[in-house]
Amino acid sequence: MNELFVIIKKELTELLRDKKTIINSIVLPTLLIPVLMFGGLKVSQMIQKSNQEKKVQIGLVNAPDDFKSLVVSDTLNQVTNYDESIDFKTLIDDGTIQSALVFSSDWRVRMDSLESSEVYIYQNGTKDNVNSRVSAMLEEYSARLKETRITQLKIPVEKMTPFVKNVVEVGEQKELIGKRVGGFIPYIFILTMWGGCLLAAIDLVTGEKERKTIETTLSLPISKFKVLMGKAIVASFLGFIPALLNLIGLILGLQFIDGIPEVITSALGEMLNFQSITMILLLLIPFSLFLAGLIIALVAGATSFKEAQSKASPIIILIIIPLVMALMPGIEFTWATVFIPVLNIGLGVKEIMAGTINMGMYSAMLLSLIAFAITAIYFSYKKFSDENAILK
Amino acid sequence: MIQINKLTKSFTSKTGKGFKKETVTVNAVNEVSFECKPGRIFSLLGPNGAGKTTTLRMIAGIINPTSGSAIVDGVDISQGNNEVKKRIGFLTGSTGLYERLNPDETLDFFGKLFKLPERELKERKEYLFEKLGINEFRKKRMGQMSTGMKQKVSIARTLIHNPEVLIFDEPTSGLDVITADSIIDLIRESKADNKTVIFSSHIMSEVDLLCDDLAIINKGSIIYNDTFDNFKRDMKADNLTQEFINRVKEA
Repeated sequence: MNELFVIIKKELTELLRDKKTIINSIVLPTLLIPVLMFGGLKVSQMIQKSNQEKKVQIGLVNAPDDFKSLVVSDTLNQVTNYDESIDFKTLIDDGTIQSALVFSSDWRVRMDSLESSEVYIYQNGTKDNVNSRVSAMLEEYSARLKETRITQLKIPVEKMTPFVKNVVEVGEQKELIGKRVGGFIPYIFILTMWGGCLLAAIDLVTGEKERKTIETTLSLPISKFKVLMGKAIVASFLGFIPALLNLIGLILGLQFIDGIPEVITSALGEMLNFQSITMILLLLIPFSLFLAGLIIALVAGATSFKEAQSKASPIIILIIIPLVMALMPGIEFTWATVFIPVLNIGLGVKEIMAGTINMGMYSAMLLSLIAFAITAIYFSYKKFSDENAILK
Repeated sequence: MIQINKLTKSFTSKTGKGFKKETVTVNAVNEVSFECKPGRIFSLLGPNGAGKTTTLRMIAGIINPTSGSAIVDGVDISQGNNEVKKRIGFLTGSTGLYERLNPDETLDFFGKLFKLPERELKERKEYLFEKLGINEFRKKRMGQMSTGMKQKVSIARTLIHNPEVLIFDEPTSGLDVITADSIIDLIRESKADNKTVIFSSHIMSEVDLLCDDLAIINKGSIIYNDTFDNFKRDMKADNLTQEFINRVKEA
């Protein structure tokens, strides 16, 4: 045990003196979520503000006076009246106007006789801001007309309202947000965990070959298994730490970044309690060991950093696919998915965050991850003991 | 004392393309036998790819032999190579040092894994640092050192556990003459301390300076094994290098 501790201490000292490791495993993961949250919030606020302040040029044909007065009441709308329909596509394409509304020529007659009429809306579907503002104006105008007609017809309001929708939300806010947001959280920390494990494992195995120290290490009077375990534990630690720092970054971001909607802050704050964080971290320990073992097994025969990266990098697809599946609707945390690595974490974390995790299934998932970690370590030991591979 | 008896190492590799793979087994070392005695320097000579490094790695417990036996300081390597490793100091051109550690940390790491008691480790480390002139750069990281400084630390880490057997595989390869001289001194001192020393080299002048017993290995087999005095007495060529070349070609 003491020998293993000496190996771990040496490997950790070496790695933590490498600037690349410090930046990738400590600085970036800590800052990632706060920067993403702060940056995302600021960018969306800027876009929203700029959209609200943007002037919209609208072309009108046969527009009734009451609609015109509605349009100009918003000082950001600039109206151009046309006598007849022209090539609005060209005008929208060249930016002269952003949208055009063509009312039917007999609009007033039809309205007076309480008949239905038509409005043609010329728009570019990609301009969401313009289109939503024009739609809102039309909705408002339509509501006004309806109201006028109801008054004219002397119909009581309740007769035009067959029922009123009253939604009673029985799900907890925590459950709702947990299932929606919870899927994205494993995304972030599993990917940073992968990055941390990958860099550390390559440095500890292939890096030793490149620096010609592998033979020095193998000349020590300790078993190859202990050397391998030392490396695997340190690689998994350097994967686990970024994931932990991601969570800390998330908690700090929620505490100190202004502008996050209160409902999300309080729900996430409630979700990220001691119990849920402990449960998530417990899953990540065997999972990081599994990743470290898997990467070491893959890179044991590589002779250069580049070769090791090209051997291990394709595995990222096997991580991303289950994570994407975990976000898909209809894929639930069941006894069928509980044993599939990565997918089980993606789904399990959602359940933990929502507070709906089944403890029996959680235990099964944890045990399955431990079994995967042991298997990965076994294969990495087999590869690490292969004299042809390790002394290449 | 090192006693090698019919030591063999086979490597298996797969060749071929697609689904047609062939397994090829090659004997890198084939039934090699020799003996190295304490207080004498044994030179293992041979051209590139002859099997020198493989033989020395087997003796040092870094790789396992396919068959045969090696008894190092009374311990058979088949009984667990960690016991053998404790008795050996292994220094080769490819036993590099951990670049992000300093000499102090490096020797502490080796000393702890060789299970030296704390006090003994401290005393031994101070003795080696003083003797090899490492004190002035003992806190400097290995990656920032010159080749000569690194070589001194390599010597210190090889000797930290005061091993009875020393193995040097082309130890002066790629070094300048001053740094190489420190290795030659180390080998001589080890002989004076009655250690068992085995070294491989290409440089015949080093062999001439140091060697007591000699074996020539070619294509995995020993083609000559006797004392260096007998080798020189039986020489037909004008110099050691030519005699070595002739014997390899004749084999």
